[in-house]
Amino acid sequence: MQREVNVICVGCPSGCEVTLTIDDKGEVTKITGNRCKEGKKYATEEYENPVRVLMATVLTQGSSQPLLPVRTDKPILKTRLSEGMRVLARVRAKPPLKAGDMLVPNLLNTGANIIATSDLTS
Amino acid sequence: MQQEVDVAVIGSGPAGLAAAIKAKETGAGKVVVFERAERLGGLLDQCVHNGFGLLYFGEDLTGPQYRDRFIEKAMDLKVNTELESMVLDLSADHTMKVASSKRGYFSLKPKAIVLAMGCRERTRFAIGIPGTRPTGIYTAGQAQRFVNVEGFIPGKKIVILGSGDIGMIMARRLTLEGANVEAVVEILPYVGGLIRNEVQCIHDFEIPLFLRHTVSEIHGYPRIEAVTISEVDEKFNPIAGTERKIECDTLLLSVGLIPENELSLKAGVKLDPLVGGPIVDEIRQTNVSGIFAGGNAVHVHDLVDNVSWESEIAGASAAAFAKGAKLPSGKIKMRPGRNIRYVVPQTISGKEDVTLYMRVKEPENNARIKVGDVMTTKVKLAVKPSSMEKVDVSASELKRLKEGTEEIVVDCVTKEAA
Repeated sequence: MQREVNVICVGCPSGCEVTLTIDDKGEVTKITGNRCKEGKKYATEEYENPVRVLMATVLTQGSSQPLLPVRTDKPILKTRLSEGMRVLARVRAKPPLKAGDMLVPNLLNTGANIIATSDLTS
Repeated sequence: MQQEVDVAVIGSGPAGLAAAIKAKETGAGKVVVFERAERLGGLLDQCVHNGFGLLYFGEDLTGPQYRDRFIEKAMDLKVNTELESMVLDLSADHTMKVASSKRGYFSLKPKAIVLAMGCRERTRFAIGIPGTRPTGIYTAGQAQRFVNVEGFIPGKKIVILGSGDIGMIMARRLTLEGANVEAVVEILPYVGGLIRNEVQCIHDFEIPLFLRHTVSEIHGYPRIEAVTISEVDEKFNPIAGTERKIECDTLLLSVGLIPENELSLKAGVKLDPLVGGPIVDEIRQTNVSGIFAGGNAVHVHDLVDNVSWESEIAGASAAAFAKGAKLPSGKIKMRPGRNIRYVVPQTISGKEDVTLYMRVKEPENNARIKVGDVMTTKVKLAVKPSSMEKVDVSASELKRLKEGTEEIVVDCVTKEAA
């Protein structure tokens, strides 16, 4: 049984709707709807490994600033973003911190770390 | 201000910082940035999402990361900063009146000025939604400040009107923070922001998107309880019989940005009604000698990278003006033609390399941008109002201009239109 997966390419303002045909082994057998090579590449990657950077804030403790902005230092699977947020809900950032400092190593075993994107002073 | 100021920059967002840095790098003496908030960086502190600097640094940074790169450089170059300092008045002779928490009220007369006040959001009253006047209605940027800086969310059941970038980014942010975004409602037949945000903020989280719809009524008092949304006709009027009521405790508005230019007007700076920002030439000088402008105060950008680049032009020009250097003159008007809403800069000298920034009115496929008889770009797969178009025109191409040319028409052309 083959099936079709639709992906909107974000490579340029065109926003092509690319259709991937997937065979029963999960392999891509046909790609249509893209208008350039980049679209083909993007759609394949988005099907095989749809990843996003998680960016959010965490609560602080001992700072006049209520929140500290954070992000993953590399993209993680988009299906794991909500789980990632639940981990961040338990984190309390304590000053002093520098932008780039690690707050959560290896988030959900994804290999990505949560880092501060701003300094934090008391 | 004891020592004479060469370049004063009003605003310390991405535009102001880039202008101040460039002014220093190109030889200005004393450069002072005036910022009304407690911190440098303008709105970048609340933009905790990524997508900043992809073009400028070739890296995917968050707003605070992008800000810190510029602040660090400004500090290295000894740019002076006046925080909690609001510029209250500005005259054509460059007299600035400032109210500062630290210094009280004072005035100064810098040699050159860069306007970098950015933009602000349109509100409910700018678009006139009928219904009650309850609490729970915010602009998307205001909600962004609550969620990302102050640490609370405005509500749990949210409707967003307008699919501008900030609205879509807030749809994702609020969803990740545990709120339910019931709908994003867009009056146009297409999304108002970048395609990347449509995919990663709306589709990723399966948020219902209503195109060709608007909020036709607000219900509830003292807190918003629901909105009625309706499909609209070609004239954007709600179609009777298409109403649907959506319960919510919060309505966010992401319905456009307006360049902030109260100070510019006080100084006699002329604004372009098509854009809302000052009419500038290619060195970003306004009609008032020695007053330059950059960033979203000139025209609203979708990418911060372009804000920085354009403001650097203003900063370098302000530094040159302060030194008494001769600046390129000659004013050939750039006139928006077919399917072009506006062009910045509005005038060019016709002698130097120049980058033209423009927005189209309607989406089109396989389009080229034609700059008079000077040059035509390669075919672009698609042009959209949400994505600013940038066209580089070289001095050698401009040699094709006929002697005495006063105006160049910029058209978006397609095979069908030709």
